[in-house]
Amino acid sequence: MINHRFMVRKAAVLGAGVMGAQIAAHLVNANIETLLFELPDEKSSDPSAPAAKAIEKLKKLEPAPLSLAAKAACIQPVNYDQHLGLLTDCDLVIEAIAERIDWKTDLYLKIAPHLGQHTIFASNTSGLSINQLAQALPEELRHRFCGIHFFNPPRYMHLIELIPCQESDISVLDALEAFLVTYLGKGVIRAKDTPNFIANRVGVFSMLAIMHHAKAFGLGFDLVDKLTGSLIGRPKSATFRTADLVGLDVLSHVIGTMHDTLHDDPWHAYYQVPDWLQALVDQGALGQKSGKGIYQKIGKEIHVLDLEKNGYQLATSTLDSDIEVLLKRKDPVEKFAALRASEHPQAQFLWAIHRDLFHYCAVHLAAIANNARDLDLAIRWGFGWNQGPFETWQIAGWKQVTQWIKEDIASGKSMSKTPLPAWVEDIETSERRAVHTAQGSYAPATRSMQSRSALPVYKRQLFPDRLAGEEVVYGETIFETDAVRMWHTGDEIAIVSFKSKMHTVDIDVLNGLQQAIEEAEHRWRALVIWQTEPPFSAGANLQKATEKPKREEPPSAFDQFMKKVKKSAQSTLLQAARSLDLADALMAGKLAEVEMLITRFQQLSQHLRYSMVPTVAAVDGLALGGGCEFVMHCDRAVATLESYIGLVEAGVGLLPAGGGCKELALRAARNAIDNDPFPQLKHTFQTVAMAQLAKSAEQAKELGYLREADPVIMNRFELLHAAKVQALALAESGYRPPLMPRAIPVAGSTGIATIKGMLVNMLEGHFISEHDYLIGSKIAHVLCGGDLTPGSLVDEEWFLRLERTAFIELLATEKTQARIAHTLKTGKPLRN
Amino acid sequence: MSKQTQDAYIVAAARTPVGKAPRGMFKNVRPDDMLVHVLQAVMQQCEGLDPAAIDDVIAGCAMPEAEQGINVARVALLLAGLPDNVPGMTINRFCASGLQAVALAADRIRLGEADVIIAAGTESMSMIPMMGNKVAMNPAMFIKDENVAIAYGMGITAEKVAQQWKVGREQQDEFAMTSHQRALKAIETGEFQQEIAPYPVEEKRPDLTSHEVKVIKSVKDTDEGPRADTNLEALAKLKSVFAANGSVTAGNSSQMSDGAGAVMVMSAAALQRFNLTPIGRFIGYTVAGVPPEIMGIGPIKAIPKVLKQVGLHQDDLDWIELNEAFAAQSLAVINELGLDRAKVNPLGGAIALGHPLGATGAIRVATLLHGLRRHHQRYGMVTMCVGSGMGAAGVFEAL
Repeated sequence: MINHRFMVRKAAVLGAGVMGAQIAAHLVNANIETLLFELPDEKSSDPSAPAAKAIEKLKKLEPAPLSLAAKAACIQPVNYDQHLGLLTDCDLVIEAIAERIDWKTDLYLKIAPHLGQHTIFASNTSGLSINQLAQALPEELRHRFCGIHFFNPPRYMHLIELIPCQESDISVLDALEAFLVTYLGKGVIRAKDTPNFIANRVGVFSMLAIMHHAKAFGLGFDLVDKLTGSLIGRPKSATFRTADLVGLDVLSHVIGTMHDTLHDDPWHAYYQVPDWLQALVDQGALGQKSGKGIYQKIGKEIHVLDLEKNGYQLATSTLDSDIEVLLKRKDPVEKFAALRASEHPQAQFLWAIHRDLFHYCAVHLAAIANNARDLDLAIRWGFGWNQGPFETWQIAGWKQVTQWIKEDIASGKSMSKTPLPAWVEDIETSERRAVHTAQGSYAPATRSMQSRSALPVYKRQLFPDRLAGEEVVYGETIFETDAVRMWHTGDEIAIVSFKSKMHTVDIDVLNGLQQAIEEAEHRWRALVIWQTEPPFSAGANLQKATEKPKREEPPSAFDQFMKKVKKSAQSTLLQAARSLDLADALMAGKLAEVEMLITRFQQLSQHLRYSMVPTVAAVDGLALGGGCEFVMHCDRAVATLESYIGLVEAGVGLLPAGGGCKELALRAARNAIDNDPFPQLKHTFQTVAMAQLAKSAEQAKELGYLREADPVIMNRFELLHAAKVQALALAESGYRPPLMPRAIPVAGSTGIATIKGMLVNMLEGHFISEHDYLIGSKIAHVLCGGDLTPGSLVDEEWFLRLERTAFIELLATEKTQARIAHTLKTGKPLRN
Repeated sequence: MSKQTQDAYIVAAARTPVGKAPRGMFKNVRPDDMLVHVLQAVMQQCEGLDPAAIDDVIAGCAMPEAEQGINVARVALLLAGLPDNVPGMTINRFCASGLQAVALAADRIRLGEADVIIAAGTESMSMIPMMGNKVAMNPAMFIKDENVAIAYGMGITAEKVAQQWKVGREQQDEFAMTSHQRALKAIETGEFQQEIAPYPVEEKRPDLTSHEVKVIKSVKDTDEGPRADTNLEALAKLKSVFAANGSVTAGNSSQMSDGAGAVMVMSAAALQRFNLTPIGRFIGYTVAGVPPEIMGIGPIKAIPKVLKQVGLHQDDLDWIELNEAFAAQSLAVINELGLDRAKVNPLGGAIALGHPLGATGAIRVATLLHGLRRHHQRYGMVTMCVGSGMGAAGVFEAL
């Protein structure tokens, strides 16, 4: 019997391949001691060298599998010859070796005697039968065995499919699910033991359908990617670039599994690796990992395979503007009607790929998933789509779309002649009239609406990922302005959320936040800043808010991780410019207004710091510039691991002036040894001057944006819960704001000179421009407390004045203005 | 007019092999311990010398702090077992510290105020970084433009020398290549054997499974810097590190190093008293100042100055140990003065052999005197450029 409070003190991953090593990385991200097993290298003096090598590689992989490169040291490299005995102490053992049933069977026989009494053993297979694998284990072990299917890259992809075998003990699976959700931060879907489970089965069929229709309509790969990317709510890498990223060999293998195992499937004829794909695999053009696949990067140009010309061509295809307009229509019902009605091949293609996907999902739902929600979430979390197939179908008008699919089946347009299952029309005639409803999602086995899992772990998710059709009400409003909403969930903790685009901060947000703090001080025990979706805040918007705030679809998880793949410097800069959307204010020469706004910003930061109730920032995603400064001024930050925090103002020729420099200087002074803050400030200077963006909450601690006491959590859907608990704990501990420090030692003139000493060498070496030198010198000036005798004691207001003055001085320079304008226009940095 | 009353002779000159910093063979060896080692080495070479007769120990060190702080000369001489009556002082003229120590020792003897002095130098660049543990610039440097160059790193000054003296990237790389080739050949033919006092390294490491302290011992007797795998192609691929699109690279600059050297200097009276035979005679030494932003040309001023002082001609010199701070400045000096490439650093220089700042002068005096003797040559020079804009040069005669 497994204890319900299943704790993983130590884990092991068997197999140090791409997935195995990255799963081990994510386990140490979650602070779990992990062993990584690989075959021994008999020739090496260290038989565990192969595992050690895989761990070493983790440090260089992009996107980073480790939240901190130093965590690699917490993965212990081991081998099957010497270390099987260590498995006894592991509470969780995940097998992730190559997809060969004979190899897996051999391994299971070898390790079974060493597994601990309560160890949960799980396979990360993506294609093999869990029941077949279970047969390789002694009977007494099978109740603790299941499939645990991670998606690549495992740190970033939210989905884990959990697949029981016939003998799996449900309580074991429940305990494991609770662990995976809270401690690894994953979205768990229970799948059935069918080939490729849910996400790959549907996702790969979708790719096959796209290949089929692209050929039929004569559309090139790059055009298809334009049609099947962000315009239809899927990742920017769309179809074929995703295939290149995944690896064409992997894709072929998955298609092969479907071909070999799904003989009775009505779509079996399509489970074929197209000749062109096979040819690419045969010549070793496997996609990104081999530098060439469906796409090829030549210099800075992207070239794409052209099947007609049998070679690579510059990727130049463009969408028909009519189609683009059509796809940007807000009303999905109208959009789908227009797609189907259009005779344009691009429109017909889009209708066809949706039609066949809907058809496929409807026919297979009962066999592969417990309910429609599981299928939709699996695709969202595993493939990064904004909506699952059933959701799309539902919002496009279930009845009408069903009718069209039926017509197309009848007229032979669809890929399969199999009729739609009866439930598709049954739910339409039932009172609920949808696949996802407030009561739950359709489950074919019970022919009823199945509500969400009742496992206790989900009580921590106050607002889980919601599907179209599921209503969400964010508590009760305390007050609401155009810029913010203050609300509560029926207890004594108040929550404030921003309504601005990317949750940027303008004067209205500042005023709203001010009102919220005052309200909290009067009537509530604590204040939590939490956004209903990421980011936490992209920073200050100094442009006077003349336009109505718009609501934007949050970027999908996949887009977010793709963004990180790009050179961080560039995206950091762009974000920095966006966060300081100054163009208008500058053109109007409104420096005085900007200064007033900066002053307000600083006042608000200080108010967060010294309010009479505890303030807690619940951080997820980006927290840039002013957003970062709010985080630094709250009593606590609770951050998801995937928080990207940074003071990025220097990227566009400015410096943090909402209390950020002050707070960093204060922290350096607190950590000063022998009253000398300079050794700390040297690092602080680099962080600010290089506009360093932390790539995880852990790194944000290293850079000094977060404090050691700020909890880092793994699951963003648990964030509000965790933040509220922290807020309450602070309130219950007899909260008083800290006393304002009045004797902060500064590095003064010597500190500034020493930093200038570094800068002047970079200037002389032409690594930085005169303007870079000026920006660096200003940052040094503020962080070191100005031109004072070293060791002089100042207060917070001293630093705040320096911040304001330096910010306005930089803003007044033509070169900073040119940088901001350039970055806003091009998204790229300007060196001037 | 010379106030010299007697000659100063060198009786013994020894050094540690030079390790690479900050990750080389001496990365965990303390610079004061290295100094102890070379003091003991020269004492051993002076059999019959009464240690109580030593008038002073002068040690050069460019960053005299932390492990090489608190007057490392006095600390090390006591740890080396020399008697309490022997005094010690640490001196600093950056890269010329070790040579300056020899000159100071010789001058005390030449004035007749001392008879036996050990001159030395020690530096661990692994333990004490280039500008010391705490860099704290004077704000005044940035008030007047003319003073900014004090803040310049050495690399930038090398770029400026390369530009002004028109020393191209290829020439620099070729010079670096020669340095490695000469050093490797010298090691192979045992040229350094006489001067090197092999150093026993002992490291204590934890065995985290057995909870025991593992003692790892080894003896180091060869310079770590020279690379057999260096070639012009590889050198050409290196990026300039001090300036964007510059010509100074890690490959054509001196290596950061750890090491120590010591030289026993005596009067003729002391030689006679302790029945010792000299290996060389100190002839003269000088320093000269140049603009800080082109500090690498220091020897251009110092070499003619010292030659004039001692009444020798450049051609009289058989061997010149020119510290290769950078290939750029070495070539500027060689070209400007018309030095004979064959006579300059015949056993390789700091680009291959390393440059443990304050120790280099004492180390290269050992190389020079032993080399001159082995090759039956007479006059030699040790010279170097010095940070913030100086040049130093010392002239010796082998006996």
